Amino acid sequence: MKSFLRKLTGKHEVSLAIIMILMFVIIDILCGGTFHSFTNIKDIFRNNALTLLMSLGMLLVLLTGGIDISITGVLAFSGMTIGLMMKNGVTHNVFLLFLIATAIGTVCGLINGLIIAKGKVSPIICTLGAMYIWRGMAYIISGNAWASAQDVSGYSDFGKDGKIGPYIILGVAFILFIVMMKWSSFGRKVYAIGSNREAARISGINVDRVQIAVYTIMGALAGLAGALSVSIYASAQPNMQTGKEMDVIAACVIGGVSMSGGRGTVLGTLLGGIFYAIVYKALPLVGLDSIWQNLIKGIIILAVVVINVVTQRAMKRQNLARREI
Amino acid sequence: MAGKSGRTISATPDRSVLKRILSWEGALVVIFIGVLIMGRVLSPSYTLNNVLREMPKYLSEILIALPMGFILIMGEIDISVGSIVCLSTATATFAGNAGLPFPVVILVCLLTGLACGALNGFILTRWPELPPMIVTLGTQIIFRGIAEVALGSGGSASYANNADLEILGKKIGPFPIAFFVVLIAAAIFIVVLSKTTFGRKLYAIGSNRTAAAYAGIKVNKIRFIVYSLAGLMSALCALFILTTTFGANTTTGQNYEMDVIAMCVFGGIATTGGKGNLFGALIAGFSIVCLRIALGQININTQLILVIIGLLLIISVLISGITQSDWFRKKQLAAKQKKAEAAK
Repeated sequence: MKSFLRKLTGKHEVSLAIIMILMFVIIDILCGGTFHSFTNIKDIFRNNALTLLMSLGMLLVLLTGGIDISITGVLAFSGMTIGLMMKNGVTHNVFLLFLIATAIGTVCGLINGLIIAKGKVSPIICTLGAMYIWRGMAYIISGNAWASAQDVSGYSDFGKDGKIGPYIILGVAFILFIVMMKWSSFGRKVYAIGSNREAARISGINVDRVQIAVYTIMGALAGLAGALSVSIYASAQPNMQTGKEMDVIAACVIGGVSMSGGRGTVLGTLLGGIFYAIVYKALPLVGLDSIWQNLIKGIIILAVVVINVVTQRAMKRQNLARREI
Repeated sequence: MAGKSGRTISATPDRSVLKRILSWEGALVVIFIGVLIMGRVLSPSYTLNNVLREMPKYLSEILIALPMGFILIMGEIDISVGSIVCLSTATATFAGNAGLPFPVVILVCLLTGLACGALNGFILTRWPELPPMIVTLGTQIIFRGIAEVALGSGGSASYANNADLEILGKKIGPFPIAFFVVLIAAAIFIVVLSKTTFGRKLYAIGSNRTAAAYAGIKVNKIRFIVYSLAGLMSALCALFILTTTFGANTTTGQNYEMDVIAMCVFGGIATTGGKGNLFGALIAGFSIVCLRIALGQININTQLILVIIGLLLIISVLISGITQSDWFRKKQLAAKQKKAEAAK
């Protein structure tokens, strides 16, 4: 049974990778061989660095059977805070500002985790409230004003086009997560809770503590993404990345992460994020106007989840048939 | 008689005044009155007439809160309603600008919403193992995507014949038409939920879907109806949005799903299903609307409302969460034992 499950989860990533490579080649042919250029691939990662980074935390949250829709609110609040710090001339130290943003995110995530684990509040409602609060706080502290490119000059060099800063953060985060999910006891506990919470509790896992840790990690990544966002887009606005939390969830789901918990891998999440990013990048290149993007995006999400269910049903039926013989 | 959770169920419900005020709905009424008093104290222009004049802008969201209550009671969620509002305003605007008579425009608007809701219902009942959250996330993006494509690069279209819309925006006495529509719709939804078999079936599905199916309830049929209803009511909301915006925009109805879910949850409906009633949601909806108007009157940062709604939401669920936690139950049990010992 175990080897079968492993094959099943392995299969999704393999098929996703094959579809992605096919899609990449077709798009490349359609736009005359300009798609596989180095700058283009670099752009794909840079433009979607925030989604990719946050999808890692979302993977953890979804694995425990929860959800976090407050992430872009946290992102806006932490990003706006460091934007204002630069605007008011407090500091321009890149390392310090990243640390502050991540710390803010960590605290926000910790609050979410405490409310969800200790207060027995359903994750979607708690994070819905948190989304309102942090987004509202971003507006209030900023007084509806921006931190412009001038205000954040110097700091924004870190994520400027051509600098390797964002790629390093992404790379380190992904390697860390692959190691953590595969070989650390924490990673295995997260899977255990997602597959069967009661069994995990009885076998001695402190479910509350793991849950709090998961939401705290999610918050820290959202804070980090806030700092990265200010750096990449060279400005901080209170309304930044509105609605992007759905993109993050979609990237995870395309990558084969189950919304009911317990199933999903870091590699799948990465592939899902890149799949999403390629589609996003390719649409204008193959001649579709940008106003078509959302429509196509939605259809892809629906198609992926429906295909997932259909193949799972077919597999179940096959298994049953095999057993009968 | 003892229920399955150990609570005693008595044949005659306790209807003392204190119990009623201490119930969630009672607390909501107190909060509602508190909001009105606060508004009056903060701003001298917070009069009945002014409140009623500002109301249509926010009031129509309550129309969506009613079917959302049904969906939440079933233990599910629909986050595509805001996009359905957007798409319905777009089709209504196009229909109106094409010169169709106003009743036909209304019909087009409502049918758009109904079709969107039915699509949600179809996908969710055709593949019941799909989580509603992710399906309606997909359709949320699709519906708004269709509106974006239809509205073109400008992203907005204005309704040419304003006179038509002004009929819907009219007032009967000091009350706007939307106010009566909300009250009538709420009455129908409340009666359906509490007095009909359909309503009881919703609770049954929310408490235990498998058990409900074995008990002979056609779960998928009911889910299909409820999701279609959510689409229809979103379109009705879109009609009243049109009377204040006089046109369609790609950002119309953004975040409505969150506002509406907040109203329901603040009104005491549990998102895990099977618990809550629409009366609470209605009062909660009116409280939020009146709070919005009050904050708008005193000219403070309008985004403060986001923080307040967020806090209200978390606190209201936290209270019910804590009263259900092991820690609280143990405390209560200990207090009861102490009392019993003292009585001895």
